[in-house]
Amino acid sequence: MAKKQKAKKQKTKKRKAAKKSSARMAGRRAISVATSADKTVKQRVAAMAAAPLAVCESEKDLQAMLKVLSDSSEPIAVRLAALQSLGAAAFSVLSFESCRADYIATLRKVADDPDPELRQRVLGILMREKDGYAQRKLLDGLKNPAKALLPPEKALQLLSYDVHADAYSVARDILKKPPNDEAKREALRLLAADAKAVPLFEKVLRDKKELRENRQIAASALHALHPDKLQQSARKILLDKSDYADIKATSLTALEQFGDEEALGKDKALLQSINRFRASKAPAKYKQTARRFLSKYDQ
Amino acid sequence: MNVALEINNSASPDAQFVTWAPSPCRIRVVNPAGATAPTVSVKLSSVSASGGGTVGFRSGTTGSFASTLTLTVPVNGSTVPFFAAGKFGQPSTSSGDVGIEARVGTTLVGSTKLMVRVRKNANTLTAGERDRFVAAFAKLNNQGLGRFADFRDMHVTVSLPQAHGAPGFLPWHRAYLLDLERELQAIDASVALPYWRFDQPAPNIFKPDFFGSSDSLGTVRFSATNPLQFWKTDGVQGINRRPFFNVAVAPPGLLTEAQTLAIGTQYRVFRTMEGNPHGLAHTSFGGSIQSPPTAPKDPLFFLLHCNVDRLWAKWQRQNSRFDPAVTASFDSNPASRPGHKLPDTMWPWNGVTGGTRPPTAPGGAMAASPCVVAPGLQPRVQDCLDYHGVLNAASNMGFDYDDVRL
Repeated sequence: MAKKQKAKKQKTKKRKAAKKSSARMAGRRAISVATSADKTVKQRVAAMAAAPLAVCESEKDLQAMLKVLSDSSEPIAVRLAALQSLGAAAFSVLSFESCRADYIATLRKVADDPDPELRQRVLGILMREKDGYAQRKLLDGLKNPAKALLPPEKALQLLSYDVHADAYSVARDILKKPPNDEAKREALRLLAADAKAVPLFEKVLRDKKELRENRQIAASALHALHPDKLQQSARKILLDKSDYADIKATSLTALEQFGDEEALGKDKALLQSINRFRASKAPAKYKQTARRFLSKYDQ
Repeated sequence: MNVALEINNSASPDAQFVTWAPSPCRIRVVNPAGATAPTVSVKLSSVSASGGGTVGFRSGTTGSFASTLTLTVPVNGSTVPFFAAGKFGQPSTSSGDVGIEARVGTTLVGSTKLMVRVRKNANTLTAGERDRFVAAFAKLNNQGLGRFADFRDMHVTVSLPQAHGAPGFLPWHRAYLLDLERELQAIDASVALPYWRFDQPAPNIFKPDFFGSSDSLGTVRFSATNPLQFWKTDGVQGINRRPFFNVAVAPPGLLTEAQTLAIGTQYRVFRTMEGNPHGLAHTSFGGSIQSPPTAPKDPLFFLLHCNVDRLWAKWQRQNSRFDPAVTASFDSNPASRPGHKLPDTMWPWNGVTGGTRPPTAPGGAMAASPCVVAPGLQPRVQDCLDYHGVLNAASNMGFDYDDVRL
């Protein structure tokens, strides 16, 4: 009996190994197609989708994928697909451990690739890994535009993944003379955790010529840096008859979500101004928010 | 005469929620006025608001559910147990949109309102469901100051081996989602985590009133009334997400649901879905969700993983893989790292730090539920398999999917 059970166990083990092995083989075949210059771009991109879990199974396959990624003579669609496939493999963290060092090294090589889309994606991945090399490159580019690998707004956005003093200082410099609206917005977002930026955010919030988004970033930053300021700043906006409907809607949303219900209920002037907003010609959705807010206080 | 009805054997309004799985309930006479015998015959029936959920009943632990149930209830106040469950395919859309009425003859003697609360396709939520979910999520984040920070900190570089690239990938994320969902329900009990069905077009998710639309830079824009505009993680406001596909269609290259379910009937083979479709769903975007250490900074992460979990649930149903004692239900390997074997407790809920575990354990124990006991404060891997209570009713974790049958 024991012999029979042992034989059965061995048979099951072999069957499982075969199944795993066939899945492995399928992945390796996919990598073979994906890295073959003889196949069409379409075939190679499709094969990349089947590659993720097989990437780290053999050193040869890994190096073949990394070579495709780093080779600027390869079609860009194939290189981007390789990056996506390697990124997907990176989620299987334990399986990917053996590949990681080579992967990061290749990403650094590709960080200044001629293709702007590839550069942007690679630098994004490196910054999310808090890579010092990528950070230095981005900061250098912001200080010296001739060295910039990405537009300033994108560089600022990526620097927000690892915020520290150097990033704050370049963000402030950008705000003094923003090259465009997006750069200004990204600089404000990055500074939202900087306690020294409170006066800046108060100024942005008060300025009706500022874009709604920037004023909203300012309101939220002030709330985090000075929590008691949320009700004060939202209140001022709602009471100001000349301020815009969209920033009023943003302020109302902030109060509804994060305000002190008891304190708000006692603020007669505020409730009256919200009532006026509800009856105004503002978009229906904004008025619905006002109605919902007021219903909490039987208004 | 009056009777009291308790759902999940609780009078708490927070417990008035059921799924497709049987929920233990009870009835008792609280005012016997007019009774002429020691017992009274009470008929239970389900009453649905328009578009609301529907429940069925049965008296015992086995058998099919019916639209009505007649119970013999002592007038002395003793409780009589019964079971209620949502009728598959008819979930609620808001709290209290289904009621249970108790009648003696034609006289109404008691009633209660409840909700058939299940996880739904995010692309087809009603405006009310969407808005309540978004409001609860924004409150949990509380502009970076809220409890969401713990969930963000559970999925960082140093903790990733606890949950990825090994057998515990699916159970860990099941527990992670459940913990977050229960925190959302503590804010608004009518909320259930929806899923992003990534193998189908889901344009409604990527709109300013829901999870936002991305500009060319990859900054997500919200409408002025969407509280997610205040989303903040790691001290920085906003969400970075740049779709590499047209959001009017599904991302290319991902395995379809049918293909995923056909990967294999053994868990050790099925779990390779971690690469495709799971990994490729993540890398269909640029931005936070693309990289393991930053993925949960984007709240879309939780909808993505809700679909991953739904696929696992569907695979379990398809292959009857609820029993940890069945080899095919899991990938048991004595050499697996801690947290990836069936009897292992899972970080961070176990509070274990150092050694093979990360240096801190954010968030504390698993959030409790007013409706069910499972999976416990420190769930083990094996506790996450019988999520429906198929083998043991006490294992029911209190969630279900709109399209996964009991």
